[in-house]
Amino acid sequence: MNFKKVLGLGLVAVLALSTAACGGGNADKTANNKPATGNEQQTQGAEQPGEKKVLTYWTDDRHDQEYIKELIENFNSTNQDHISVELTVLSENYNQSVDIAFASNKAPDILRLKSANTEMFMKKGYLAPLDSYLTDEMKSKFDGLLMDGVNRFDGKVYSLPNSGLTLRLVYNQDLFEKAGISGPPASLQDMVDAAKKITDYGKKEGIYGFALNFKNPKSAFERSVREILSLSGYQGLGFDLKTGQFDFGPYSQVIEYFKQMHEDGSILPGAETLDIDPLRAQFAAGKIGMYLSFSTEPGVYKDQFPTTINWAGALAPTLEGKQVGTSEIVSAGTWIGINDKSANKDAAWKFMEYMYADDVLTAYHEKGFGISIVPSIAEKAKNPDTPGMEGFLVGEHDSLWPVTPNITPEGANYGDAFFKYMLDGGDLQAVVSDLNARYNDALSKAVEKGDVKVSPDPSFDPSQLKAK
Amino acid sequence: MSQWKRLQENSLLLLPSVILTLALGVYPLVWVLRYMFYDYPGYGQEVFVGLDNFARLFRDQAFWASVKNTFIFAGGKLVLTVPLSLLLAVILNGKLRGRNLLRAVFFMPTVISTAVISVVFYLIFNSYNGMVNQLLMKYHIIGQPFEWLGPKHAMLTVILVATWGAIGNYMLLFLAGLQSIPKDLYESASIDGAGPVSRFRYITLPMLGPVMQVIIMLAIIAALKGYESIMVMTEGGPIGKTEVMYLYLYKLLFPMATSGTPVEQQFGYGSAVGFVTALIVGGITLIYHYMSKKMNKVY
Repeated sequence: MNFKKVLGLGLVAVLALSTAACGGGNADKTANNKPATGNEQQTQGAEQPGEKKVLTYWTDDRHDQEYIKELIENFNSTNQDHISVELTVLSENYNQSVDIAFASNKAPDILRLKSANTEMFMKKGYLAPLDSYLTDEMKSKFDGLLMDGVNRFDGKVYSLPNSGLTLRLVYNQDLFEKAGISGPPASLQDMVDAAKKITDYGKKEGIYGFALNFKNPKSAFERSVREILSLSGYQGLGFDLKTGQFDFGPYSQVIEYFKQMHEDGSILPGAETLDIDPLRAQFAAGKIGMYLSFSTEPGVYKDQFPTTINWAGALAPTLEGKQVGTSEIVSAGTWIGINDKSANKDAAWKFMEYMYADDVLTAYHEKGFGISIVPSIAEKAKNPDTPGMEGFLVGEHDSLWPVTPNITPEGANYGDAFFKYMLDGGDLQAVVSDLNARYNDALSKAVEKGDVKVSPDPSFDPSQLKAK
Repeated sequence: MSQWKRLQENSLLLLPSVILTLALGVYPLVWVLRYMFYDYPGYGQEVFVGLDNFARLFRDQAFWASVKNTFIFAGGKLVLTVPLSLLLAVILNGKLRGRNLLRAVFFMPTVISTAVISVVFYLIFNSYNGMVNQLLMKYHIIGQPFEWLGPKHAMLTVILVATWGAIGNYMLLFLAGLQSIPKDLYESASIDGAGPVSRFRYITLPMLGPVMQVIIMLAIIAALKGYESIMVMTEGGPIGKTEVMYLYLYKLLFPMATSGTPVEQQFGYGSAVGFVTALIVGGITLIYHYMSKKMNKVY
């Protein structure tokens, strides 16, 4: 019996701990910021002149995959360097797939990079610096767009910009009209009132004024509160650029209005477990008055959830109804990067050069896959003809914002903490104080470790940010 | 065959298992036991932090809330699963027309992907257009959508889904146990005038003791470790109401992707959480073993 007990316990312990250990195996622990030195992963594929080189390109973008395939086919058939690119489109868990691929020496030569993964990939040693490849022409093309902490780290460039995403209020014009609302709300109080009016009008038919993808509150707030705050003159992720410290005070003001909509019953029932795609499906079915999201939405309603409703994108409401700041252009600055351990880096760069050619970037913008932030492209490209895109185009109220340091605090993130307040109530000031303390503690530790750099800018003025 | 040759042969036969155990069992275990004393986000140099991860764990309210949720989830699942699967096994062990088909039907959830089942149940239970609410509203049983996956009822819903997924598996194990009970015991009890309830109470239950002890142990471990369907249906929400230990651990190691800012992996802290989680599950299993000693004895 004792033996059985020990055996049973041992088994349980191994199983439980294995779950924890599975994660670690993926990480390339020896990789840090240093470039690979001779010990490259794919030595068997070392470049030889005249030899056919097959490059692998991984992306998690689905919305533009047909166009990217078309570009790759064209590149494969026209390039004179015997380079053939193979595209793999991944869906969920892209970052983990990349981790596993690097750990098992099967990483792609070329990677799609986004603001959410570039820094981590760079720190893990996955990305090759591009500085030695950049020609003077390219440097001038991307002049002023290369940002520290976005595509440049420790003075080295790891990716180049193409397009960015704007954030907007997405609203059902039919429902606004039927509920007697003249236009998109200018202030948060207007938004609360509009959500209530729409709900009063349509509740019997399952129509509600407002929704967000609260299954992941951080994701929901990063596509809504972020926009509201940046237009209101505050950094959208709770960071005070003037002091270089986190201050969730302004954030909490927005949350109060969201809480009011919840208390009014204006938020779609079940939004607590709503993902973004089910939300879009409900919006396309005419069940949601408004939500906030990225400029990917026109493409979604064109292909993924075709809809007959009349809808549009508009600048988000602000705290007081006045646009003190600018709407932050997000996910800008990165597009494609090269695997630092690839044996075909030169060939990968040739493909990158092809992808960053003016005609490719122009068509990318004109087809509505992303809004170009490269001035030379944006100036001459025609506006995309995707229905609804006109409300998302970069205008005088849009701009890039300085980068916020990325830190991991102990305990609940601000998304979970504020959403708990929205549903359960409590002392909002205590929530803010707790968040400020935990985030600033994590920030000071990260600064001490050298993971992040903070440069307070006491003279920062959100009204001076201009669209590029 | 010489003893030396037999030893060689036995060693060769054992080799694959030993290699797999070392690679998939011992190595990860050693990895976790080491990294729980480090701060390591998956890149750069790991930093030795001593017992800091454990100190953090003891003040981590979200973790202890997940422990509490795990007990509620596991308790609810066990209370429903074990009696229901035993009842089904007893019914399907009798002379029932189409019993093989029914056994296959009840076992079916065990072989279907948990992720697929959970997506289907999400579609059934979601508040805005779920089938359950639509039916209840159609027959005027409820006036407005019921929040099956809302903060108040999400735990109950995930317990029901987990129970549905587990019953068939334990039913099969109970069936195997029932079929090992000698039939002549029932025959002689019937001759002595025992009815179905008495036969169940005085023959079936005691004779199933050792099997039931194992089944309940397996059920306890599975319930304490279960998180897959919760991850798909609620991602631990709303506001952490269905966050269980292993989901909490999973998120530390594989942060759920969000649309914007990156979330770092926490291998060091995750290892500490994994270790304590294993201790909790192991401790409960040990207590159960101690308390269920009598079940192992058939007189």
